[in-house]
This record gives sequence, C-alpha cells and structure tokens, in this order.
Amino acid sequence: MVHIEDIKKEAKRLLKEKKIKYLIGYKRGTNGLTALPTFIKEPEDTDELIWEASCIQNLSRYLVEEKKEQLKNKAENTLPVGIIAKACDTRSIAVLLQEKFLERKDIYIIGVSCEYGGVIDQKKIKKKFRGKKPEKVIFDKTNNLLIGTKFGNIKVPAEEILAERCIECKSTFPLLCDDVFGENVKRKISEHFNSIKEIEELPAESRWEFWHGHLEKCIRCFACRSVCPMCFCTECVVDPIELAVTNESTAREKAEKVKWIERSTTATDNIIFQLVRTLHLAGRCIDCGECERVCPVDIPIRLLNKKMEKTALEKFGYESGFDINMPSLISNFKDEDPQDFIR
Amino acid sequence: MEQYEPRIIAFLCKWCSSAGSDLAGVSRMKYPPNIIPITVMCSGSVSPLYVLSAFRNGADGVLISGCHPGDCHYIKGNFYARRKILLLTELLNYIGMDEKRFKMSWVSAAEGAKFTELAKDFVEEIRFLGPQNKLIRGN
Repeated sequence: MVHIEDIKKEAKRLLKEKKIKYLIGYKRGTNGLTALPTFIKEPEDTDELIWEASCIQNLSRYLVEEKKEQLKNKAENTLPVGIIAKACDTRSIAVLLQEKFLERKDIYIIGVSCEYGGVIDQKKIKKKFRGKKPEKVIFDKTNNLLIGTKFGNIKVPAEEILAERCIECKSTFPLLCDDVFGENVKRKISEHFNSIKEIEELPAESRWEFWHGHLEKCIRCFACRSVCPMCFCTECVVDPIELAVTNESTAREKAEKVKWIERSTTATDNIIFQLVRTLHLAGRCIDCGECERVCPVDIPIRLLNKKMEKTALEKFGYESGFDINMPSLISNFKDEDPQDFIR
Repeated sequence: MEQYEPRIIAFLCKWCSSAGSDLAGVSRMKYPPNIIPITVMCSGSVSPLYVLSAFRNGADGVLISGCHPGDCHYIKGNFYARRKILLLTELLNYIGMDEKRFKMSWVSAAEGAKFTELAKDFVEEIRFLGPQNKLIRGN
C-alpha cells in the first residue's frame, strides 16, 4: 500500500534540506474525484499533496517545459526538480533521458507504484455513475474496484472504470527512481495490444471508415501535441510558426515557406497530421494516454500510437522506455530487420 | 473511353536506383511513362512526410527505391530507410490505405532490366486499383 503520509514526509524533507528546487505533484481538484498538478516550493505546502486513482496526468511534460525555459534563459540549473511519477511517467522520463533532452542530475524522481490499480478514466466514470460523484476508489487483487460514493460502496470490474492504458499496462512499478513508494507486484487485467486487435481484424475499407470518421472531426487544436512529453520540438513540421507568412512577407519568403499541409481542417490534412505525429512518436511513445485524454473531440489517438508500439516490438524487438542506454528505434538498425516487403 | 493513366511518384536514390533507371533509358528498354522520378541523395533521406505529401498532391502510387543493403553510398542509409518505411507501410495499412499503392525496392545501378520490370508491374497494379482518392488534397 502507498501511504500519502510517507510521500508528504519525504517531500517535506527534500524541500527542507534544499535537495530539490520545487516538487511537481498532485493536489485535490475542485470537482469530486479529480486531481490537479501542483508545484510546491515551500515545505509547509506539502500537506496538499494527494495520491489516489484520480492522479491521471503525466507530469513529465512539466520537466520538458522547465528544460525549455532553462534553455531560453540560458540559466544554470543548480538544484534538481522533484517529480512524483507513476510507472508510465517514469518511462516517459526514461525516453527523454535516452534522447539526451533531459539530464539525470536535473531531476529527482519520486516513483509511486500503481500496484494492483491504475488511474481512472473520467469519461468512463461519467458514463457509469451518471449523477453520482464517486469519492474514492479502492483497488483489490481480484481486478475489481470498490468505488465509494455518497450512496455507499459499489463494486465494479476494473475494465469499466480504469483508463484504457492501465488495463493494458506492462508494468505498474516505476523505474529509475530516487525514492520508491509501493510494492512491485505482478498484475494483469488484459492482454497487451488487446485494444487494437479489434481494428486490425476489420477489413481495409472498414478500417478506413473508422479512421476517416474519427479524424474528420479533428479541429487541429494541437492539444495532443501540447500535452505530449515527447513533442518537445520548438517548431512543428506540420505547423511552422517561424515561417508564417505575414503582410510584410516578401515574395521570396512566401516562396520559401515550407508548407506540408494547409491550415484549414480538411479530413486529408487531419489524417496527415496525425500520421506524421504517430510516425514521429514511433518507438518513443510510452502509452501514457494523455493525447487521448485531452482530445476535445474524442479521437482514439492512442490506438494509432499503440500500433507503432506493436510494430516496433514485433518487427524490431524494440520496447520504448525501459532502457536509457539503448539507441532509439529509428536511429538504429539490425542486419536481420525484416525486408520481405521490399522488392 | 480514354484509358486511365496512373501517376506514380518514384523517389530514386542518386547513386543506385536513379542510375538504374538511367541505364534502362540508355539501353532503350521500354517502361511506362507514368513513373515520375524524383532523385534524392539517399533512400534514407526520404521522410515519411514526402510520401504522405505525394499522396496528398495526387499521386496514385509511391515508389521508394534505394541501393541493395550493404551497397549504400553512405554505408547505412538504406538500413535506416528500411526501418522507417516498414513503420510507414504498417501505419498506412492500419488506417486502411491500400498497401499496394506504396512500394519499396532495391535497384542497383546495373539493374536497368529490374527497374523496367518493376515499373511495368507497379503501373499495371495501380491501373487495376484505379485513382487514389483517400489522401487527396482538399478532401
């Protein structure tokens, strides 16, 4: 069991001893069973920290923002930044370390194991409980969840409440941690890659209809890109800001502007944007499911990334987020890579 | 009725495939004129975005051709290409694009005949499939 008091005590100690600059953690949200990211600078503020099934967010994105800020200000970082990370969050930090975007000495990871549980999916909760607001979630070893509401405890199967990514989780135990809370337990609710099996088995035309139907809705708000810890480019290839044409742009500047897709949201350009994003995340995505969570039009973006993860594992034996010393997927090759598709 | 003529974009690497297609030309071997060659420095330099962009701008098929493994001018460019292109193939297939519209091949500078065969087969295949309208611009 993870006790929040232990985490608070450790956080207080770190801040008091000036081991970390500040701590990124979760605090209670304003609406029922929700959590908000919080940045704690003073030891006495650590009391607002929480740890429960509503801590959905992948906070490693804030490490990326911190690093970008440092690069911009050319500031010397003296103290590491503390972060409370779930197993999947530590994997995304691992990829950032693998790509040498972050340095290990700049972060202090407080890893928390999800043990038998995971995080809840707010959309599923809303659907399941309608008006009732759940107040707490208790996990047990039988893959059932106990949901506490005002009307008493309700027992539901894990699949109905847990986030999709948690159902398929590879390992609920964090890695690379400075401090670890919780135990390393083996847990399995569903086969890995179960979620994309259904789509893969459809005939090609139905697959096209499925994806076209979903991606047609995309409004290109770029929320998926903003929330993704791996999307740290300052200039995105599908949305070049620096090269934007203004009234003052000369003919030459306009001619030199690289424009792969239009700004307007046509289905084709939406599909190309998502395909490009998926390819850029191939072998880097660690399936934290944030892109899908923030999508305002409910596009199952995760399923695209999942396909790449499966291809990487099956064809190249590559798993992202477990080894920081491994070369990344597309900056490396093996002689025995499959080539039966090449003529 | 006029026969449908497919448009196929071919990204040919400068050192092997482009020379291979050149050989086919100077040897007076006949292959369909539907193939529009674009010479790139290496098959490894072909970004998946090029391929998607080609489809977006109206290509019915895309061919990427490079040196045989081990023959790359830049030693390992085609090995990187092999990985990247496999990922792209799987992804296009997954979203329901016809996988036959997208091909990769190894053609060396001496294989003019192979290039001719390849071009003929590919054009016939695409002619059978008809125009590509899934990823076309403004759709």
